[in-house]
Amino acid sequence: MKREFICILCPNSCRITTEYDNNGIKKIEGAQCKKGKEFINNEIENPLRIFTGSVLCEGGDYRLVSVKTTKSILKKYMKQIALKTHQIKLKAPVEIGQVIVPNIMGLDINLVATRRVRKFH
Amino acid sequence: MIKKDVVIIGGGAAGLAAAVSCREKGIEDILIIERESALGGILKQCIHDGFGLIKFQHSYTGPEYAHKYVDQVEKQKIPYFLDSMVIDITNQKVLTVVNKSGLKKYKAKSIILAMGCRERTRGAIGIPGSRPAGIYTAGVAQNLINIHNYMIGKEVVILGSGDIGLIMARRLILEGATVKMVLELLPYGSGLPRNFNQCLFDYDIPLYLNHTVVNIRGDQRVESITMAKVDARGEAIPSTCKDVSCDTLMLSVGLIPENELTKMAGIKLDPLTGGALVDEYGQTTVNGIFACGNVLQVHDIVDNVSLEAEYVACGVEKYLSSFLKPKNDICIELGEGLQYVLPQRMQFLDDTVFSLRVSKPGQKKKLVFKNDKSIIKQKTFLRVNPAEMIRIKLTTQELSGTNGLKVDLES
Repeated sequence: MKREFICILCPNSCRITTEYDNNGIKKIEGAQCKKGKEFINNEIENPLRIFTGSVLCEGGDYRLVSVKTTKSILKKYMKQIALKTHQIKLKAPVEIGQVIVPNIMGLDINLVATRRVRKFH
Repeated sequence: MIKKDVVIIGGGAAGLAAAVSCREKGIEDILIIERESALGGILKQCIHDGFGLIKFQHSYTGPEYAHKYVDQVEKQKIPYFLDSMVIDITNQKVLTVVNKSGLKKYKAKSIILAMGCRERTRGAIGIPGSRPAGIYTAGVAQNLINIHNYMIGKEVVILGSGDIGLIMARRLILEGATVKMVLELLPYGSGLPRNFNQCLFDYDIPLYLNHTVVNIRGDQRVESITMAKVDARGEAIPSTCKDVSCDTLMLSVGLIPENELTKMAGIKLDPLTGGALVDEYGQTTVNGIFACGNVLQVHDIVDNVSLEAEYVACGVEKYLSSFLKPKNDICIELGEGLQYVLPQRMQFLDDTVFSLRVSKPGQKKKLVFKNDKSIIKQKTFLRVNPAEMIRIKLTTQELSGTNGLKVDLES
């Protein structure tokens, strides 16, 4: 099977032409770095994405704390994790990197804060 | 009048990097003036990841990327004003600043313009129809959803395929809305290809190229829009009109450098970029006033904004130490196949990073820099795309002896 992928790992957005079958990749062309092959491998089998979103926060200088998964997760879990973030309510202060949900959905990956929210005076 | 060595207008990606970089070069007397109530600019609302891969070899979210610089500003004790507007600047580098404590005038030795850009609106592209609630630009939608926790609608049609629009398409889906389609006037997408992949294709959002919105209907709230295919000149073809029901229309139809203050100072603008005409240090046509970031040219990657600001800090340092003497600059000539090239003029004193955009997508193109006699640098690209800014460095050696420069994109 022949398919063109657009790599999402960096702004280069490499168009990678790949020939593959059930035994794996046979031919790969167009990747500007070695991460391309790994990306394609995942993309064929189990596409991975970083989840980013936000959760409510009370008593801070922002109403929302932005969050991300510390590692890429399977693409199929994106919507389920989004639903989880809607059920969380934090209290200020929150620091960047603070773990908001440890081991989210049992994936051995943490959901962490990406915004500092100070207590509102 | 309060005297300052460097006043930076804008505390976003460009202003912060310029401030940190100026301080690293030993400039003590700096002031950042920010109109919002926090530093960070547009990065604050860009909660998706992918920032910093060039600058830090790591993928950060917008707030994290901003925090790295805000942290430096705090550690270096660089003074900044929040909730403060510059309402006037003169070519003598006198700034009028208003905030809660009143109105003050500053006299700066050097000014860095870092005001960023704003979005084109429905008015700018003139979509006919009624004027109901439910029409948002992508950046405003991003601000409402990511900062203020207001959802903008349930059934969304997006016009324009700029990066913010694509990022917001994914965000809207994950927040529970339906994104019916993305319409793009041009025959190709305006955003980075990877964003089409991870924001549209991942969620099966249809993309219609060569399409636009020709009517908006709704009394209180948007009820439907009319989409139409466009011909080669971008004119809607009446027989292709089709109504699409939706409660929200989101626009991602381009960004405009915000240069009102630049004009007040009598600085010449380049109609091709919408930003100031600058030399290789980002110095405008008024000596001592510099520009960097989206106010100079609209960027697609924040890392390049930071890098541009670092270049400008070099220029400011040289200007303050009287190294940059006003001289007759040589204009860079824009050749075939390019939208613009920066800098527009230069003195060939230093290694220089040129930034440019191609006019349309293409394959196997050669970017050629030539002086009056010969080719001084060329680079071949497998693919070129207007959405992807090209940055290319020419060294002093390559530029030496040059008294004119033309940039061309050849097949």
